[in-house]
Amino acid sequence: MSWRNELLAVWAVTLRNALMGSRNVFFFFELLFWPIVGVLSIGLMTRFLELTPAQASFVLVGTIALSVINVCQLEVAYAVLLDVWSKSLKHQFLAPIGIRHLTLGSWLVGIVRSFAVFVLLTVLGWWAFDFEVLRPGWLALGTFLLGCFLTAWVVGVAVCALITLFGNRAEAFAWASVNLVLVLAGIYYPVSVLPDSIAAIARAIPLTYFLDAYRSYYGFQSEFAAPVATGLALSALYAVLAHWAFLAAIQRARRTGLLLKMSE
Amino acid sequence: MVSSNGMLAIDARDVEKTFRSGWFGRRQTQALRGVSLTVARGSIVGVLGPNGAGKTTLLSILATLLTPDRGRVLVLGHDVVREAAVLRRRLNMASGRPSFLWSLRVGEIIAFYGRLYGLSGARLRRRVDALIDLCELGPYRRVPYSDLSTGLKQRVALAKSLVNEPELLFLDEPTLGLDPDVSVRVREHIARLRREQGMTIVLTTHYMREADELCDEIAFIKAGRILSRGTPGELKRQIRLGEVIALRLDPPTVAWLAEAPGVLRCVEADGWVECTVDEAEKRLPELLRALHNDGVVIRNVQVREPELEEVFVELAK
Repeated sequence: MSWRNELLAVWAVTLRNALMGSRNVFFFFELLFWPIVGVLSIGLMTRFLELTPAQASFVLVGTIALSVINVCQLEVAYAVLLDVWSKSLKHQFLAPIGIRHLTLGSWLVGIVRSFAVFVLLTVLGWWAFDFEVLRPGWLALGTFLLGCFLTAWVVGVAVCALITLFGNRAEAFAWASVNLVLVLAGIYYPVSVLPDSIAAIARAIPLTYFLDAYRSYYGFQSEFAAPVATGLALSALYAVLAHWAFLAAIQRARRTGLLLKMSE
Repeated sequence: MVSSNGMLAIDARDVEKTFRSGWFGRRQTQALRGVSLTVARGSIVGVLGPNGAGKTTLLSILATLLTPDRGRVLVLGHDVVREAAVLRRRLNMASGRPSFLWSLRVGEIIAFYGRLYGLSGARLRRRVDALIDLCELGPYRRVPYSDLSTGLKQRVALAKSLVNEPELLFLDEPTLGLDPDVSVRVREHIARLRREQGMTIVLTTHYMREADELCDEIAFIKAGRILSRGTPGELKRQIRLGEVIALRLDPPTVAWLAEAPGVLRCVEADGWVECTVDEAEKRLPELLRALHNDGVVIRNVQVREPELEEVFVELAK
C-alpha cells in the first residue's frame, strides 16, 4: 500500500468519526457536561478540605487528565463501536483497511476533542480555583498531554480488541476501563499511598509516570527516576501489544463468525 | 498463489465451516460440509437454497469475511486466507439487509468507502456523482442514512459495492423487499454490469424469476452441501420434474386423463387441466388424438417447462 493510500484511509476514518461526532447530541455530554461536573465537584471539595494551592493543583491535574483520557479513549473505541451500533462492521472489514487506519484516524479526532476539553477545563480551573496550568512550562505541558493522549490510545485500542473479541457484551468496557486507570494510576493521590501489590500494578501504567513528572513542577517530589522516558517506553510497548490484541481479535472474529453476527 | 486456471474467478474445493456456540463451544452447527464451486470469469452465478442452507456463509468465505475450517479457496487467483488483503481491493459485496452509519448522508457514505479504496479529490467526486446517478439517488444525496426507506438503503448498498469497480461482486439477496419496478431496474443494472464491464457476479436470492433471468448457472445448496448445479434449463431437466401440458376442455374434466400413458399427474385449476408428462413432445399428439377420439372439444393448449420455483421446492424437500 502506498503512503498516499495509507494517509487516505486514515483521513477517511478521521472524517467519518468527526462527522458522526458533530451530529450526535449525546457527544455534547461527553465533551462538556461530565468533564465540567468533574472539575467543579473536585475543585469545590479541595476548597472544603482547605487544601493548599499545590495540593489543589495536584488533585485538579488528575481530574483534568482523567477527562482528557476518557474523551480521547472513547473516540478511539468509536472506531469499532460506531460500526457495531449501526451493524455495519462487515463493510468496514470487507474494505482494504488495516487496524492502524482505524485506530490512528479515530485517535486524531480524539486528540482534537480531548484537547478542546483540556482547554475548557484548565480555563475553568484557573477561573474558579486559581489553577495554573502553565506553571510547569510549555514543554512539560506538551509532554503531559502527549502522555494522556498515548494512554487514551492504548486504552481505546484495548477496548476495540475486547469488543471485537466478545461482541456487544463488552461494550461496557468502553465506559468502565478508564475508571480502572482512575484507581490505579494515582489520579487523586500519589502511588506511594497504595498497598505494595497495587502500587506494582500502578507502576506498569504509563499515565502514572506522566502525572508524576507533571506534578513535580508543582513542588511534589518525583517518585520515579526518568518518569517521562519510562512513560513513553511503556506507552510504546502497550500500543504494540494492544494493536496485536486487536488484530488477533479480528482474526478470531473472522474465524468464529462474530464479525458477521455484529453486522447486518 | 495464482490459480492454475486463469479463466476462473472462483475455485473453491471441499470447503467446510462449523460454527461453535454456547459454553466451551459445545453447540456446533455445520454450515458447510465439503462445498466445491467454480465460477468462470464474467459469469453470473446464483447460489440458491432454503434458509440456513449455508448460502451466506459460502458468500462470506468467498468475500474474505469468514475463514474456512477446511478446504482451499482461490478467488481471482488469490488464497482467501493468506492473500485476503490483496483480494479485498478487487471485490465488493452488497446485501439485501444493508446497514451503514445512521448519521452519515448518502454522499458521505459512498465517499467514505471510496477513500478506503484509494479514491480522492476530483476522482472521488466524479465516482460518487456517477454512482449516485446510476442508483438514482440524486434527490437523497444529503439525506441521513437513518431517514431512508428500505429500497433506498439497498440502492446505497449497491452504490457502495460498486465504488471500487470490483472485478468480482457478491450480492446477497439484492432485491429483497424492493418494489417490483425497482427490482426490475436493479436486475437490469446487474445484467449491464456483466455485459459492459465483464464483472463476475455471485448472488443469492429467494426470487426464482430473478435467478432464471440473470444467472448463467445456478448452484443449489442445502444443509451445507451443493445438491445440484447447472444452467436453469439443465437444473429443470436434472430434477426430472417433467413438462406441463395445460388443456382447456369441453367438458372441463376427463376422468381417464390422469391414467393416460406418460402422464405423471393431473390437477385442475381455474378451468384448466394441467397434466405433468414425462416428455411433452411425445405425449402431446397422443393426448390430443385420444381426446379427439373421445369426443372432447379442445379449446386451448399450452405447453411449458417447470418453473425454477418448482425445482427449488423439489430440491428443498
